[in-house]
Amino acid sequence: MTADLLIDLFSMAIGYWWIILIGTTIGIIIGAIPGFGAHNTIIILLPLTLAVPIDQGLTFMVSLYVASHMGSGIPAILLNIPGTGGAAATTLDGYPMAQKGLGQQALVLSFLASTIGGFITAIIALFAIPYLAQIAFYLHSVEMVVVMLFGITLIAVIAAKDTLKGLIAGLIGLLIGGIGADHIYSNPRGTFGFLELYDGVPLVPALIGLFALSEAFVMIEQDLIVSKSGRAHMLKSRWSDTWEGIRMGVARLWHVCWTSLIGLGIGAIPGAGASIASFVAYQQSRTFSKTPDAYGKGHPEGVLAPEAANNGVSSGSLIPMLVIGVPGGSTAAVMMVVLNYHGVALGPRLFTEQPVLAYGVFVTMIVSYVLMIFTILPLTRYLSRITLVPTQFLAPSIICFTLIGAFIYRGYPFDMGLAIAFGVIGYIARKTGFHVVALLIGVILGPLLEENFLRALRLSGGDLGVFFSRPIANGLWLALLASLATPWILARYHKSRETAGGKP
Amino acid sequence: MNRRTSLNRRTFLGMSAGAAAMGLAGTRPGFAQQFPSHTMNVVIPTGEGGGVDRAARAFTSVWQKHLGANFEFGYFPGASGQVGYEVYVGKREPDAHNLLFGNIGPEMIVYATQDTSYTYPDDYIYFAGIDVDDSAIWVAANSELQTIEDLVEAGKQRTINISTSRLPHPSSLGVLALGEATGADFRLIPYGGGSAARTAAITGEVEACATFLGSSLGLDDQIRFLTVFQNRNRLPNLTNDAPPVNEALGTQIPALSGTRAWAIHRAAAEEYPDRFEKLKETSRAAFEDPAYRQEVEQSKLIWEFAEYSDEEACAAEARATMELAERYKDVLSGNG
Repeated sequence: MTADLLIDLFSMAIGYWWIILIGTTIGIIIGAIPGFGAHNTIIILLPLTLAVPIDQGLTFMVSLYVASHMGSGIPAILLNIPGTGGAAATTLDGYPMAQKGLGQQALVLSFLASTIGGFITAIIALFAIPYLAQIAFYLHSVEMVVVMLFGITLIAVIAAKDTLKGLIAGLIGLLIGGIGADHIYSNPRGTFGFLELYDGVPLVPALIGLFALSEAFVMIEQDLIVSKSGRAHMLKSRWSDTWEGIRMGVARLWHVCWTSLIGLGIGAIPGAGASIASFVAYQQSRTFSKTPDAYGKGHPEGVLAPEAANNGVSSGSLIPMLVIGVPGGSTAAVMMVVLNYHGVALGPRLFTEQPVLAYGVFVTMIVSYVLMIFTILPLTRYLSRITLVPTQFLAPSIICFTLIGAFIYRGYPFDMGLAIAFGVIGYIARKTGFHVVALLIGVILGPLLEENFLRALRLSGGDLGVFFSRPIANGLWLALLASLATPWILARYHKSRETAGGKP
Repeated sequence: MNRRTSLNRRTFLGMSAGAAAMGLAGTRPGFAQQFPSHTMNVVIPTGEGGGVDRAARAFTSVWQKHLGANFEFGYFPGASGQVGYEVYVGKREPDAHNLLFGNIGPEMIVYATQDTSYTYPDDYIYFAGIDVDDSAIWVAANSELQTIEDLVEAGKQRTINISTSRLPHPSSLGVLALGEATGADFRLIPYGGGSAARTAAITGEVEACATFLGSSLGLDDQIRFLTVFQNRNRLPNLTNDAPPVNEALGTQIPALSGTRAWAIHRAAAEEYPDRFEKLKETSRAAFEDPAYRQEVEQSKLIWEFAEYSDEEACAAEARATMELAERYKDVLSGNG
């Protein structure tokens, strides 16, 4: 890639600022509404993207895609309702911040992490695409099993507060994740005769039920979602709160950088996505934090890590599509339809034959993030006021919107019933002190773990030794053990220091 | 057919509509003039925006002019197409205004290997196939396996892992039949989707990939086709002239392909023979209309795959696929 090409690409992307503005605005809105993902929206808008020139269509799709990841954090923080699975981990610390009246600061942290994380990873992707594409050649089913385990160990972290309840919630989640046809022979399991469950429990209705509906049911029992002191703080909110959020984020810039790289790496693995990346990033963030006990109570780093990671995924997930010609996720698959329609041949030759298009994707991302940070940061002050809306209005609105979202995802009325069923499960879980995030981790990561585990076994002819047969997998096993042992070792180290310090 | 090339579309449309009306007027005049009385509703058993969807849209954009009605699509993905068929048979009125557009090969294998509440051909029949995509085996370009003979030889020495989107698929049947015919040991690895199956072969997790030809053509020089499960290779230039499997190995493996076809409730075909006749006639006319080729090419579908199959040909393919699926049912369902 030459400097001239780079200048041309930036000039073109900036020239399309108006498309980026439209794309990011739509992306943020649909990202914030559970059920309306980038994938669904791009499908709905196919007649438009197929009709316009390819560079304009691609600019629109890419900007919409990156913005949808950012938008999904808004309801996660303000209402405890993640817009997509990728923002589920954001609820762990984002919502407690909002309840304390720090919703404005939490939003700023989320936007900063999203834009800076996305910006950095897009730049890295722009220059390191051939190397990043190699990730798919080294991380196969065996390695994916270990990556999933990184995310699943978050259940244990959550369970640390109430071991039995945390583990039970995680186990129930894993069991629910086991519903559907098995990954090898397609024999249905636990579907109760419902064909709609044959492909497993759909994520969106589960997400909507466990978070949105159960939260709405809990909301009905109270007047406001913020505490009394939080309300007083919110009523006095001013621009200085936005600055405070910026200061909190900038002070943790390194944290944003390395957690976004987790997202980039996981995103480059075909089939992995924002949900996995954000859980793994949160788990890693907590593991290497000096204040792990502050997580889950409104810790800024608990917001930064998942948001940086799920935006890092945006760059990574497009790499398999561009370099190999195989989509790494559902949104990339729809983008590929548009690119194929315009006669674009994806694969290694794309970078030599159509470099403007290939590298333009990442330049569009970079420009989108820059434009977004300036357009969305001023809105935090007003967006955070949502938490002051009385629950008698808020709860019914959430129920209506999210039930529509549950339906739109696949177009099955069944999914609305499923969302309500999960809503009841989530409500009972909240009322009895079980953590819905632990349950959701099981629902999301359980099937992926099982799929990769069974595939690895099948590839090896049933030999369990396959999981320790590859150098990278072994390295990941060691890293997993280290990340599990580190908090325990650090705790003992601090305790021994305290004990030693206490001695005269 | 001279008429196809010498008449413009509008004249042809007028003539065919008139001919259809006249012909049908002789049998059941009342019904003939009223059909279609409203929009045609199509159940698509896969997701929106995919290959089936694009093929359906390309075809109906021409068919609607011959039939004189608009088409509306409903998407019911899930359970490898089974959900769409359950919805079509169980919840759509058998009045010939409701059709299904599916893929005979994979969906008949699902029918043969899974418990379904619908039965073929009692509940529905295919009446117009519009394209055929053949199964193929390919390897990554840097693979040491250069030919299908190499693959078979290697399979006699060791187990060869071959990726497939799912076990109940024509390409999987092809691999099983190939292993049985040659004594090679092939292990099918289902990836739950074509993209993942292709990635696995390109990135070296498996040694080969069994899939439909059309879905892998875009991979260009990253892959090398070894064989096609058909009597001829429709696209030799785009598939490094990979030989048909029987020609290369002297086997007797049946053709394994996916035919995207229109289906109708059997009850509707029997109760409204005039409507059914009109659907068959106009679908064929649409296929032969030069405008259809333009639509296919504009939609970036592959014209070389376009092939019309009438009701009888569709039924024969469905039966042959079912028979082969029955033969490997135990292996496909994990009981073997």
